[in-house]
Order: sequence, then structure tokens, then C-alpha cells
Amino acid sequence: MQLKISVQDGAPIYQQIVEQVKYLVAAGRLKPGDDVPPIRVLAEQLRINPNTVARAYLELEREGIVTMRQGLGTTVTQVRTPLPRREKLRILAEPADVLLANARHLNVELEEVITLLRERDAAMLPESFK
Amino acid sequence: MHVGRLAWRTPTGAMLWEIWGRHKLSFLWQGAALAASVFFAQWKEHGAPKDVAPLLVMASCICFLGAYLYLLTSFAYIEVDARRVQLGFPGRLLLKPLSTARLVLAPMLFGGLVIVTVFAIWTELVLRHFGSVATSDLLLISAVLLSFFWWMQALAWGLPLLKGRVLVLLVVGLIHLLVAIPPQMPVRISPGCQWRILAALLVSAVPAAWIGLKGMREGRWEGPSRISVLWGRLGSARAQGARKRFGSAFGAQFWLEWRRQGLLLPGISGGMALLMVPCMLAGLKWLGAGAGPQDEIQRMMLVLPLLVLPLVLSLLMGSALARFDPLHSMGELPLYIAVRPMTNGGFVTAKLAMALATSALTWLVMTAAFLCVALMGKETLLSKAGLVTPYGPVAFITGCVPGLLLLVIWTWRNLVAGIGAGLTGRTWIIVAFIFSRVLLLDALILLVIAAGSHVNFRQALLHWLTGILTVCLAAKLAVSIAAFAWGLRRNAITARAVGWIAGGWSVCGLLVAGYAGRVCNSIRQPDLWLWVALGGLLILPLADLAIAPLALAWNRHR
Amino acid sequence: MKFPSPSSAEAVIAVSGLSRHFGPKAALDDVSVFVPRGSVFGLVGENGAGKTTLIKHLLGSLKAQTGSVRVFGLDPVLDPVGVLGRVGYLSERRDLPSWMRVGEFMRYTQAFYPGWDEQYAGQLLEQFQLDPAQRIKTQSQGQQAKTGLLTSLAYRPDLLILDEPSSGLDPVVRRDILEAIIRMVAEEGRTVLFSSHLLDEVERVADHVIMLQRGRVVLNGRTEEVRRGHILAVLAFAKPPAAAPVVAGAHAVAGYGSEWRVLFGGSRLELETAAASVGARVVEERTPTLDEILVARAGGKGS
Repeated sequence: MQLKISVQDGAPIYQQIVEQVKYLVAAGRLKPGDDVPPIRVLAEQLRINPNTVARAYLELEREGIVTMRQGLGTTVTQVRTPLPRREKLRILAEPADVLLANARHLNVELEEVITLLRERDAAMLPESFK
Repeated sequence: MHVGRLAWRTPTGAMLWEIWGRHKLSFLWQGAALAASVFFAQWKEHGAPKDVAPLLVMASCICFLGAYLYLLTSFAYIEVDARRVQLGFPGRLLLKPLSTARLVLAPMLFGGLVIVTVFAIWTELVLRHFGSVATSDLLLISAVLLSFFWWMQALAWGLPLLKGRVLVLLVVGLIHLLVAIPPQMPVRISPGCQWRILAALLVSAVPAAWIGLKGMREGRWEGPSRISVLWGRLGSARAQGARKRFGSAFGAQFWLEWRRQGLLLPGISGGMALLMVPCMLAGLKWLGAGAGPQDEIQRMMLVLPLLVLPLVLSLLMGSALARFDPLHSMGELPLYIAVRPMTNGGFVTAKLAMALATSALTWLVMTAAFLCVALMGKETLLSKAGLVTPYGPVAFITGCVPGLLLLVIWTWRNLVAGIGAGLTGRTWIIVAFIFSRVLLLDALILLVIAAGSHVNFRQALLHWLTGILTVCLAAKLAVSIAAFAWGLRRNAITARAVGWIAGGWSVCGLLVAGYAGRVCNSIRQPDLWLWVALGGLLILPLADLAIAPLALAWNRHR
Repeated sequence: MKFPSPSSAEAVIAVSGLSRHFGPKAALDDVSVFVPRGSVFGLVGENGAGKTTLIKHLLGSLKAQTGSVRVFGLDPVLDPVGVLGRVGYLSERRDLPSWMRVGEFMRYTQAFYPGWDEQYAGQLLEQFQLDPAQRIKTQSQGQQAKTGLLTSLAYRPDLLILDEPSSGLDPVVRRDILEAIIRMVAEEGRTVLFSSHLLDEVERVADHVIMLQRGRVVLNGRTEEVRRGHILAVLAFAKPPAAAPVVAGAHAVAGYGSEWRVLFGGSRLELETAAASVGARVVEERTPTLDEILVARAGGKGS
């Protein structure tokens, strides 16, 4: 699992980990059942505090992306636990706000944004991933 | 180029100005020493009392030696880098657009000129009054000094990184000494031969210096020399073998102390003995084979410096041994020692144990040197044992053993006193300590001389001696008790350590008193016993041992 | 400013009201620090801010003139063995015995700590690629730093104090050292206090950050909270001000013309109020990095 942490980035480090893992899962690079590195190993690899990694994993578990099992490590969940729809949309609302604010700032119309979203979604399919 | 108000048009001028600037203060001291010696010489010349005269001579000689030796080193133009301890030509000058010849000749010629001139000044103003020496001899001595100075520079510049450089310097010094005083030496050299050897030494010194400095400039000495690579390989082979752990923290600390400074005192004593033994042999030969008691005493006095040397050295070097790492300045503790979980008392114990071991080794070396003189001097001193005791040479030797032990303990005691002052890490305390000790020593010597010559004074002194000694002992005990109490309160020393020290002191004191009693009885001077016992108790260290942990605590926790 | 302090029972380091003067200069001024067990504290500040002085107090090398210093509940001056036996220390200037070989130094250190783990030491030796027969004075700076770290970690101390561990080292060595520290942090109950100028390291590894400025504590809190307590914003002025505008609560103001970049300490609401009071509005904002906060607070000249 290759992650990249940037301190310059405004987001807190654990947030960056969460985002990147979610991306990897969505892009199919992490399949359900795959093992995610233990906290200690990932902390050493990225050279960050293990507590930060632990926090990221907890957040991921809360969102149902991974499952942490005592002694057996952490794996990507086999089946996406069905989060209530409300919860899912709530999670998506924040990045949507950021996207829309940037679009407004750059004077991009909402229609163009929607077209962009469709294009990006198509590009994310595993078949088109090189 | 303008520096301050001075304009230096030549690099040579700049170099010489730098030497002057660096040693301004010491030149002042040397001037003061010269003035003092002139004063002593004049006083002796114009009616000083007979018993003070030898003291004046001694004082002047000490001033001369100290000032002159310092002059030699300051003009040798070497720099010490405290971090890497690299003695050598100042590296930054090698990068200047100057020819190596100029770099070599400027300090050598100018330094040589100054050396010879200053020697002439000293001879004329001071040394002339203390004995007559022929002009040719003076010329010879000047040439020897010049040659030694040039070779000192050549070695320092050419072999800056060689570890055994001090040894090489010692050998060179020995050669010069042998050339200087051959008529008295066992080996016979004619004066003509002397001059030829000197000329060869002088002439070869300059090219040697030039080659050495050129080598340094070209980086020929960079990196480990072949010798040190070999040594390193031997060392690592040794290190592979000796991989056992230390039994305790004390063991580890003692190992560190010994590795770092254990051989310092024996080395210096041995080195100086190496230089002194030929002189003593020459002196013995010169004194001739007179059989009267005066001659015996003169012979004893000649060998006396060997006995006194370690005692004096230990007085001066105690503070140096207080350092934990010679590469560190005499101030704060190096951090890799300060963060060890060891009490201040623990550190002090390891250091004191090292001091004891070092004293013992030093006296072993001195005994060997003494035996050298005794065996090589044709009229052996051993046969004169009858002078000291009527029991024969075997008893003399066995009687020497407790004497030797006492000398070891006395040396140890001097070291301990110096260590106590040095552990504080404050330079002013160390300077004050050395100053006060030297003052005390001088006062004692004056006292002895005065008592020797004035009968009334001697009788009064002997009358009050018991009282004086008792008062001193009481003061010592008071200081010790206060120091122990304070140390216990500040957690600088454990109660067990206090018990050991106090107990050890009492037991040793009793042993000294007992032995003194026996000896005094056998030489039929029973009243001497009390003085010897009290004196012994005063010599044995107690207050110094109590103060040392406090001194370290003061340094470690600033 | 009131800083939160956990009960001293769980604090590995408890410094309260510490002041220290060297002559007329105040190296530390009423400093209070509480480090709980298991945390990683980053100590930041410019050169001469008092970081090394504070660390020396923790080791007992300096005695507290006013205030108190307790490590593991003990006074390091009165009980050096109790404190130092559980502390590992790496100093900025390394301060290693240059005449010893690496193996000899390890043996020497081992004698003082009953908890020395021979196997772990061997592992570190291999990992750091150090030669036990090599003399410390012939080692490069990076190797010396690794030697110092090895002898501080091998006995598994409960508290690790590092004074600028990465100073003067190349990125490869820095990486090794950081990894070794993180491995130690991952073990239960170990506490780390380190001071560093490399603030991205501090941000990655430290839970808490303390910033010293001229001997005073100016920031003390969890790393993200400290960051989130500041905003780097661009203010647009309707009328370009003649000189640098004074914005209440801003630590640094820089710019030209009608747009000025400001590093503000406070919440977004406070920023908007302050901006409005000088006749500007916020056009851009982001969370600054620790580096930017430090420079702004120290120099007053923001980037």
C-alpha cells in the first residue's frame, strides 16, 4: 500500500491517510479481504507517529472501510457494511462543498462541474486504470 | 592591509604580529620573571644571608626554566585544535599564496633569533651571578638550544598526526642533551666532534622542517598513516577478543579513567626520569669517589630529585586528573558522563581508585629509575645503606617497602587534593589551589631552613609543635565532618561511603602511629612518636575525600 | 495563557514555574511543561529560545533557580540515579567520547543500565550499519549520531530526550533516525521529548508541540490544535494602505498594494472581525504549517 503524506497540505495527516485509503479502495487497488499494513509498520514506513495511524484506522473502521481484529491485523471489509444513506451523504457533503466553493471562485458553471464529475468517474473504473 | 592602526605590507610581518598577539600576556609574565630573577641575583650578589642564597638560586632557576620553556613553545608556532587535538602548523596559512620556504623560514629564523637573544640576556643578567661558565660553553649551549628549537618545530610541523610524536621529541631532546654535556658522560666525545654533530643537526633541521611542511601542504599526512593503520588493525583484533562485559558500573568507570589518564603521571615521571638519569650519572662522576660523609650526603642530594619528582608532579597534576576527558576543557562535565545514572560519590570513587593505581605505577617506574642510577653509578649507593641503618642491606630493602608505600600514599594524597579542586570545574579555584599549595610548600621550606639555622627559633617551634599539629588536626576533622554532613544532606555521598572513608582513615592512622612508635623506640627517640603520629594523620587524606563529591556535585548540577 | 496540565501522577515530566537566568539574561521565564506518559512532545523555537536550557534542567545538569523540575516524580539533581537510569539522551553536539571505539562505548554504557538489551543492541548495530571496531572520532557526523542514538535506545529507556537529533545530517541518516524513534514510540508507555528545527519532522511525529520564544512558552497543545488555532489568510483592501496594516491578533503581515498575507492566531470569526475592523475582507485562507507559524511568531515577517 503506497501512501504519500504531505505536511504542507492543509489537511491533518490522519485525514490524508483516510482519504488515500478510501481512494485506493474505490479505485480497486485495495480489494475487499486485502490486508492493510499494521499500525507500527505503516508508521515506520511513512515516518509518522503511530497514534496518527491508529486514529486514521479507527476513522476508517468507523466509516466501515476496514475491520480491525485483535491479533489478526486490519483488513479491508469483505462486504461494505451498509451505512445509512443519510450518513453516506453527510460524508460526501464536505468535499462537495469544497468543490463547489472552488468552482464558484473560478467562475465555473454547475453544468460544467457535473460533466467533469462524470468524466472523472469514468476514468476511475479499474479497466481504464493503467 | 590595515589592522587597527598598524599596516602590514608583508605576509612575514603579519605572521610575526600574530605570534606576538597570541602570546602578549605570556611575554609580559616572562618579563616579570626576568625582572624578579634579576632582583634575586642582585640581592644574592650584594649580601643576602647565607641560608637564603640557595633559595634565591632555586627561585631564579625556576623562573628561568618556566619562562624559557614557554618562550620555546610560543615561537614554535603550533596550533592546537581543542576538538581534534591536532598540533601542527596553523592550517589556514597553508592556503595563503605564500611559498613553503617563507612559511618555514619566518618563524624559524625569527624564532631562533629571539631564542638566542633571550638566552643571552638571561645569562648576562642572571645566570652569570650563580656560577662561572666559559664563553665557549655558553656558545655551545646556545647552539644546542637553537638546534633543539628548530627540530621541535620541524617535528611539530612535519609529523602533526603521528601519535608517538612526544616520544620522538623526547629522543631528540635526549640526543641534544648528550651532545651538550659529553665530558661528564660515560661516552667520550671530543669538543670538535661535538661541534660537528651540532652543525649537522642545525643544518638538517631546516630542510626537515621544509619537507615536513610541504608534505602537510600537499596532504601527504592526510588520512591514517601506515603505522596507525597497522596499530588500528592490531587494536581491532584486540577489541574482538576482549568482549566480556564489565562487572559493574564502577568497573566501567574505572576502565574509562585508566584508559584516559592512567598513564599520564607515570609517563611524565618516567620521561623526566629518562632525562634526569644521565644528568645524575654525570653528576656522580663529577663528584668523584670521595669517601667522607659530606660526599655521601652530596651523592644522596643528587639522587633526591628522583624522590621528589613524583610528589611535586602530583601536586601540579592533580587538577589535570580531575578531568574526565582530556579533550574537553577543564570546565563542564562531558555529557556522555553527566547523563550516566551514577552518583557523584560513585564517579569520585572510580577516579580515586585510578589515582591510587596511577601512584603505585609511578613509584614502580621511579624505583626502576633509582635502581638504574644505583647500579650504573660506579660507587653504588646500595653499599652506603649502612649509613641509614645498622641492620645491613637486606633490612634496608625490606625497610624501604613501608617507606615506598608511604610515598605512594603521599602521592595519592597530593593527587586527591588536586582532584578535589579540579572537580569543581572552575578555573579560578584550580589556580588558587595550586597557588596556595606552592605558597604552603615554600613556607614549609623556609620554616625548615629557619629552624635549621636559628637555635632559639627551633626550640620554640619544637615546644609548640604538638599544639600546632593538634590544632591543624582539629580543623581538618571539623572541615571533614561539615563536608560529610553537607554531602549526606545533598545526597552526594552515601552513609556507607562515609563509614568506609572515616574508618579507613582511622585504621591507617593507627597503623602509621604504631609503625612510627616501633621505629621511634628502636632509634631511641620516644618523644618523636607523637609528632610523627599526628603528622601522619594530617597527611592521610580525609577532608579532601569528603569535599570531592561535593565539588563534583557543584560542577555537575550548575 | 492557561495551559492544560494533567495530574502530576501520570506526568513523566512535570516542570512548573521554572526560571533561569544567566547573568542578566533570562534563558527561561516561568516555564511550565507537563508531559504525560506515552506521548511524543516536540519542542520548537528559534536558536537561543531556551530549548537546550530546558532539557539540561531535565537531566540535572542545571539546577532550578526558581520553580521545580520533576522527572518520574523525582528531582534529577537530588536523585540522578533514579532519573537518569530511565532516561536516554542524545545531545545536539553528540558529545561522544571520540577516543573510544563503538564497541567499547557500548560496553561502557551497558555497565550502567541493568535493562540493556543485548539482542536489541545487536539489531540496531546491524541496522545502522556501524562497525564496532571503528573509532568514534573517525566516524562521519551521521554515524556519530547513530552511535549516540544506539547507546541511548539499547536499554529501552522510559523517556527519550533528543536535542536536535537531525541537525547537520543528510536525509538518509535522518530517515534512519526517525524510523528508530518511531519504532520506540510504538512500544507501550515510552515517552519522547525532542527538540528540532525540522518542523515537518515535528509535525509528523509529535502529538504535542511546545514553542519557546525568548525563554517563554508561547504555544502548548496538540499538534493539530496548534495548527488549527492559526489561519494563513489573504486580505484584500478596498483602498491600498500606505504602510503595513496593523491587524489585531495577527502575528505576521506581509504583502504589497491591496492584498496582504496575514498569519492570524484565533478562530475564523475573530479573523473576519479583525479584517472588517481595518476595512478588508478575506479572500483566501488555509491552515498554516508549523514552520510558517514558528517563523511568523518569531520574526514577525510572514512569508
